[in-house]
Amino acid sequence: MSDSDRLSCQDAFARLDDFVDRELSATELERLEAHLQDCACCAPHFEFEQQVLDGVRRQIRRIRAPVGLLDGILSRLRAK
Amino acid sequence: MADSATASFEAQLSPVLDRAYAAAWHLTRNAAEAEDLVQEAALLAWRGYHGFLPGSSFRAWFLRILTNKFISDYRRDRRRGVVVDMDAVPEFSLWQHSRASGMHSPDADPAAALTSQLDGEQIAAALDRLPEEYRLAAVLYFVEDLSYQEIADILGVPIGTVRSRLHRGRRLLQAELWALAAASGIVPRNPVTTGDR
Repeated sequence: MSDSDRLSCQDAFARLDDFVDRELSATELERLEAHLQDCACCAPHFEFEQQVLDGVRRQIRRIRAPVGLLDGILSRLRAK
Repeated sequence: MADSATASFEAQLSPVLDRAYAAAWHLTRNAAEAEDLVQEAALLAWRGYHGFLPGSSFRAWFLRILTNKFISDYRRDRRRGVVVDMDAVPEFSLWQHSRASGMHSPDADPAAALTSQLDGEQIAAALDRLPEEYRLAAVLYFVEDLSYQEIADILGVPIGTVRSRLHRGRRLLQAELWALAAASGIVPRNPVTTGDR
């Protein structure tokens, strides 16, 4: 990777949201990962933001459909 | 109804039901309404099942039906169209506050300390406080591993709108989460605003 491809910390943070959402192109991802490998300031912050989102996601996904919901739906379908 | 068609529909619906119910629960914030919403969405999906494209994502298709049903019949619109002054909402507030509160010692895991000690109801309450447009996108984002494009297709808005709503909603959600964590004693009550990253 040439020097002109290297991202500044400001450039990296402009890509943080797209990075944690896995929406960066392969080229952009490569540039950002190269920055995170070298930057002791950005790397822990990026990891923190990712972990916060993962934690929220885990809590939200704990909700389970009530027992019998699928059977109830299928019964209604068959009755139609 | 032909049994083979029912079996096919059941095979598609069964693996997505928990997540669909979770989405419905967060959208309606009411267990009985969530169950009704999923049932009604399932009936609509069944009626339109002949139009479902085999090989495409059933979960995205079903979530689109469920979300549209929520918007048409369940939404109370209390925070719809709320204009948020994003300049007044700090960026990365959890990072900044947790650092200012001394939660980032070498062996600490501040993100886990924050999110694992808040319970599901508290996180749901924080999501519920987002303006409606942001809340819809955030629920879909957190409940399923959907791309921006899939969320855009479900909500019927451009991909740039989804991106903006998710990023802004995330910023607002962090501020709400810190306030909740402080109110429940998980973190110190005196958050410090700092420009330090």
